[in-house]
Amino acid sequence: MIVTTGLSKDYGGTLALDSVDLNVSRGSVYGLVGPNGAGKTTLLGVLSGLRQATAGSVSIITTNIGVLPDTPLFDQWLTAREVVDLALFMSAGVHDDIRVAEMLEQAGIEDAADRAVGGFSRGMLQRLGLAASLVAGPDLVLLDEPCSALDPLGRREVLDLIARLRGDATVVFSSHILADVQEVCDTVGILRRGKLIFEGPLQNLLVGKAQPRYLVRVRPPTGDVVARLKSTDWIEEVVVVDPELIRVTGASLDVMETNLVPALAAAGAHVVSLAPEAPSLEDVFLEVVS
Amino acid sequence: MNLWKLEWLRLVRTKRIIALVGVFVFFGFLGPLTARYMEQILENFGGGVQIIVPEPIAADGITAYVGNAAQIGLLVAVGVAAGALAFDAKPQMGIFLRTRVEHVREIFTPRLVTMTCAVIGAFVLGSVAALYESIVLMGSLPIGGWALGTLLGSLYLAFVVALVAAVSAKANSVLVTVMTSVGLLLALPILGIAPDIAEWLPSHLVGAIDGLVRDGSLSDYTRSIGATVVLISGALWLAVHWAEQREL
Repeated sequence: MIVTTGLSKDYGGTLALDSVDLNVSRGSVYGLVGPNGAGKTTLLGVLSGLRQATAGSVSIITTNIGVLPDTPLFDQWLTAREVVDLALFMSAGVHDDIRVAEMLEQAGIEDAADRAVGGFSRGMLQRLGLAASLVAGPDLVLLDEPCSALDPLGRREVLDLIARLRGDATVVFSSHILADVQEVCDTVGILRRGKLIFEGPLQNLLVGKAQPRYLVRVRPPTGDVVARLKSTDWIEEVVVVDPELIRVTGASLDVMETNLVPALAAAGAHVVSLAPEAPSLEDVFLEVVS
Repeated sequence: MNLWKLEWLRLVRTKRIIALVGVFVFFGFLGPLTARYMEQILENFGGGVQIIVPEPIAADGITAYVGNAAQIGLLVAVGVAAGALAFDAKPQMGIFLRTRVEHVREIFTPRLVTMTCAVIGAFVLGSVAALYESIVLMGSLPIGGWALGTLLGSLYLAFVVALVAAVSAKANSVLVTVMTSVGLLLALPILGIAPDIAEWLPSHLVGAIDGLVRDGSLSDYTRSIGATVVLISGALWLAVHWAEQREL
């Protein structure tokens, strides 16, 4: 759906994007993450045609694009229904009251549909912006921090809405909330100082960075078990997380998979549960950008 | 909802149309009234000093209207036009509009046409009010000269809106758009101090209605008309070109 080659954007000596080669597959939900100033908003701006690249090329195979800025604003004297209706007419050239009502409902602002948007909170504006971005059924949706102003319920609803788009539309969204990205995205791009330092399926990123670490829940007391595990040569670290939970780090995943269970048995542990500790995107992100 | 209705609602719901029409019509009625009773007004504020002024004629009512319309009316017109044309002043609003059209001129056209019509409409209503009251209070006026003068005044206001459009495409806020536009419009009469230049300036058209209800003729304004049409075209080209180039 989107291919960029050597995409660069120079703001008078400051390189906001540095030779970015982006590849977003059709129907995917692509999460763009990176620290503040990494170039996420600039990249979305270039993709949406609001900014011009200094160098490189952008290829997008649709013109039906929905864009949501991080803090959407509208004329304060318009009602929410009028905003979405205007968005639909400008994008598709049609009026469809049923479609407009449907989008307002999906965005969770149907009760405020006929209120002037001047009195809306930032969270409500974000929901309205999302409704306006999606009402014309875009093939590509570019969302800049779509959950940044939402309460937990609103965040849940918006993430569900984004997840439902998978397959029907291609979604690229930037976020600081890595748990959101991990939850709904199938592909991740990590930007740092304008460079795309990782791009690929989320699982590749997580599996590739998986640590040889297990969480073991045992019946207390754990003192003897911990002491005997620590004396085992291939175990590098044993941390008591709480009185019933210990984290065991070994030399490698392979060694852990074959030797941890016998080592626990030898230590006399009463094992309740045992599972590899999956790395979170946040862990991996911090490791990659540091 | 479409972009034309949006502009109509902007005028109505924000009450800008009331401000615009109110100002011009108010001065349309006030101008002839002050011209007719100038002597009495001056006497009342003169502290007993007798002031002799010439017997007012109907054209004086139009002169008084033009004087006010060219100042306070113009300021209101620039403010109202800037409020609509500076749509990138808040980038998030610009993003909403720009990402839904192929060319920026699709956004510009309804705003430019609606604001031009609103400003000219208000000016014409004020001019009609001034004509009516001048005739009632002070006698007849040449209707042909008044109509032509109003038309030329409208052309000047079209130039004003086009200038605001060009400035708004570069400025970062409505306030900067208003200040810059007013500054440029004030600079024109200063240039007009040189008589050879004055008749080429759009601001020369401001006094056309006044001149044409007295002893002026259309030929006095032909250079200004030509220059204004060229400047309107240039300002509109710049407005669209700069807006297309602008990044958010």
